[in-house]
Amino acid sequence: MLTYIARRLLLMIPTLLGITLLVFTLIALSPGGIGAGLLVSGGQMDAKGAAFLEAYIEDRYGLDDPVPMQYVRWLGRICPLKFGQRDQWDHSERVRRPRALRTPPCADWFAGAAAAPTSDSAAAASTAAGASAPPPGGGAAPSNPIADYRVASRRYAAERVSYSAARREFLRALADHAKAIGRKDLLSPKAIVHTSEFAAAPPPRDAVDWPRLDSAGAKMVSTYAIAMQSRSRLIAAIDAEPFPLAGVPLLPDLMWIGAPDLGNSFSKNRPVIDLLISALPVTLLINLVAFPIIYLIAVPTGMLAAARRGSWFDVLSGATFVGLWSVPVVWAGVLAIGYLANKQYLGWFPVSGLHDTHASDMAFLPSFGTTGWDRGWLLDTIWHICLPVTCLVYAGFAVLSKQTRAAMLENFNADYVRTAKAKGVPRRDVVLRHVFRNSLLPIITMFVSIFPAALAGSVVVERIFSVPGMGSLMIEAIELRDRELILANTTMIACINLLALLLADFLYAAADPRVTYE
Amino acid sequence: MSTLTQSVSPKQPPAELTPLFEVADLEVSFDNETGPRVQAVAGVQMSVFPGQTLAVVGESGCGKSVTAMSAMQLIPRPPGRVDGGTIIFEGQDLLSLSEEEMLKIRGAKIAMIFQEPMTSLNPVYTIGDQIIEAILLHQKVLPSAARELALQALRDVGLPAPEERIDAYPHQFSGGMRQRVMIAMALACRPSLLLADEPTTALDVTIQAQILELLHDLQKQRNMAMMLITHNLGVVAGNADVVCVMYAGRVVEYARVYELFENPMHPYTRGLFRSIPALHEQKHRLTTVEEVVNDPAEFRKLPGADRGVIPWWPFMPAENRPATVKGLSEYALHQIEPGRWVGCWRTEQVNAYPRSRPLLDCRR
Repeated sequence: MLTYIARRLLLMIPTLLGITLLVFTLIALSPGGIGAGLLVSGGQMDAKGAAFLEAYIEDRYGLDDPVPMQYVRWLGRICPLKFGQRDQWDHSERVRRPRALRTPPCADWFAGAAAAPTSDSAAAASTAAGASAPPPGGGAAPSNPIADYRVASRRYAAERVSYSAARREFLRALADHAKAIGRKDLLSPKAIVHTSEFAAAPPPRDAVDWPRLDSAGAKMVSTYAIAMQSRSRLIAAIDAEPFPLAGVPLLPDLMWIGAPDLGNSFSKNRPVIDLLISALPVTLLINLVAFPIIYLIAVPTGMLAAARRGSWFDVLSGATFVGLWSVPVVWAGVLAIGYLANKQYLGWFPVSGLHDTHASDMAFLPSFGTTGWDRGWLLDTIWHICLPVTCLVYAGFAVLSKQTRAAMLENFNADYVRTAKAKGVPRRDVVLRHVFRNSLLPIITMFVSIFPAALAGSVVVERIFSVPGMGSLMIEAIELRDRELILANTTMIACINLLALLLADFLYAAADPRVTYE
Repeated sequence: MSTLTQSVSPKQPPAELTPLFEVADLEVSFDNETGPRVQAVAGVQMSVFPGQTLAVVGESGCGKSVTAMSAMQLIPRPPGRVDGGTIIFEGQDLLSLSEEEMLKIRGAKIAMIFQEPMTSLNPVYTIGDQIIEAILLHQKVLPSAARELALQALRDVGLPAPEERIDAYPHQFSGGMRQRVMIAMALACRPSLLLADEPTTALDVTIQAQILELLHDLQKQRNMAMMLITHNLGVVAGNADVVCVMYAGRVVEYARVYELFENPMHPYTRGLFRSIPALHEQKHRLTTVEEVVNDPAEFRKLPGADRGVIPWWPFMPAENRPATVKGLSEYALHQIEPGRWVGCWRTEQVNAYPRSRPLLDCRR
């Protein structure tokens, strides 16, 4: 049995890899690619602002890497077994090591400038970063590693932006130069210069726009050097381990075990795990109410319908359930809000949400105190989930009760049922103990296939009733192209699916002794 | 024993001659969606005495199992329906009992074992649970005592190491062992009548012999009556005391086993015997039942044939059929000689004889 579990769990890994790869590919292939939603507001910014935003986003989410690389990075964060140095967590944010800077194009034209960065420009960069801390190592007070890290981080961010802006400026100058000398072939359709073509043949020093190129290039090279310096300072600050290390080391500096990091949501700028933790209980609550209702109504109805096959009960329950099943949830939900929740009609139920606005002030249980009747948190919640749960439930009866009925009927004519009757077992016990027990397998199968889907959240119901559950979160993530949120959601749903399948296998074995996994 | 039967006097049957179980004129029909109702059993008569084995022989669909299932009131209704007749068991008409009263008889006084040991046990319960269920239904004992009784029942049917195997599931047993378990379950409450519906059909020959021997031994120990439904004439010859040959829902011949094998009187019975291959003969092909029953001469061999005692046969051509009594069924079970009954056309002559129930209180 343990071998079987281990094998199944190990087999889940490639399955999950496949699922995440597929989802990642789909996001990457969608128009605009990964992170398209993030850069929309950058269009109207000035060069500096756009550069800052782009640098920030690229640095934060690693979007400048090629897509396969991004996927591997994402896997590395998700995987509990991690390689390299252990992570540090600055509160809820992972401390990111600065990644390599893009090398300045055509840097060898300005070799002199790179060799001696002027102290002026370095000072300018520090002022631009607004850094007021003493330079590293130069302070008299005992150095505080966290403060050092913050200073180094801020300075590097600013200098990186300076470099990025200078690089852009240089590229623009280069593009103008290419246009001036009539070398349109060196420009790509978006007027970006093919710098590698230029690198081989620098423009002559006496060209008209050489001064512009020279000053832009020199600035680019010098800011690059400064950025590289503060980058190494930042790395040193991180290596000083200002924050507690995460995880458990396996091999020092090579391999360690840590909690999966789902990353930050692009659109909400919050850790994805926080979003899941706030949405999952909502969906769980609704479904843990809806599921027992579906099962407690559909299964006995199916049993009774099978036991009284052809009776009015069989016909009526079948027709009712199929009728309910055919009503679209969208329509039923809107009607329910329009008639049952609208104050102009019945107004019995709240229109949306999961709690009253002042639900947090309520006592848990209903009470009648000095302020009059207080329905309490529990009753308030029940009152709010009435309509969503009804909408989730009513369509679920048909399939389950029909499945139960079919499975029961199949077993009613079985030989062992005849044996049981011949033993003198009363009919009720024949149905419950012999027929139903043998009809459990399809019911288990149904449970396993419905439950993960339900946890993914009924998108429609949650939307209609403005319930902030998993379904709402997922649809929002897709609309906003929030890569981290989509991936986290799909991974979680995939995990639950796979675990549910595993659970089903155990339930099969429990329900039917002929099934073993030895 | 046989002296008793020969002293049968139609006026006053001795008290010992009350059978344990007697089926009289049973008629059962089934609903047929595409046509008229199907008459599965049309006037069956048979009787079983304590400790006796009645073998019911006949081809598939001739009504053997329906008769047994009717006795248990296990005919699915609808589509099935009992149109007439009685089934007397220990002085009660089983067909008139309510479901609650039947629950006290099924498994307790009349038990049944079935053809398919592979599927007749519930796959999701251990054999112990299934036997204990039967015991607890009919005996007022504690579950622990019921387990002891179940172990004893398993020991009685010769299941090796019952203490270990009582908690095993049916799929862990071979076919023969499952049939032993079925027998243990059926006999756990010590019924006085066992309806064995082709108990050995699905088993190989050696296991068949073992199971039949087991049934025979248990029957002797407990003086249990048994109705053995089978296709197999070898099984009949080896086990039966009395044989009832059925065709098309009616009894065509009813006799002691030796007399039947010595002198089959109905052409159908003769056809059955002739279609059995014999070891010492060499034949290119065997005689079929059709060849026998299609021969009009075969129907004129009964004593009294010239006076209108003609064996009943549903497929007899109209020109050969004797004139039957109007207003009554065309068939009657007619006593040819003491201890011999043959299904005949109800001609005036046959109808003039007093009705006689097929009662044969004999053991081997």
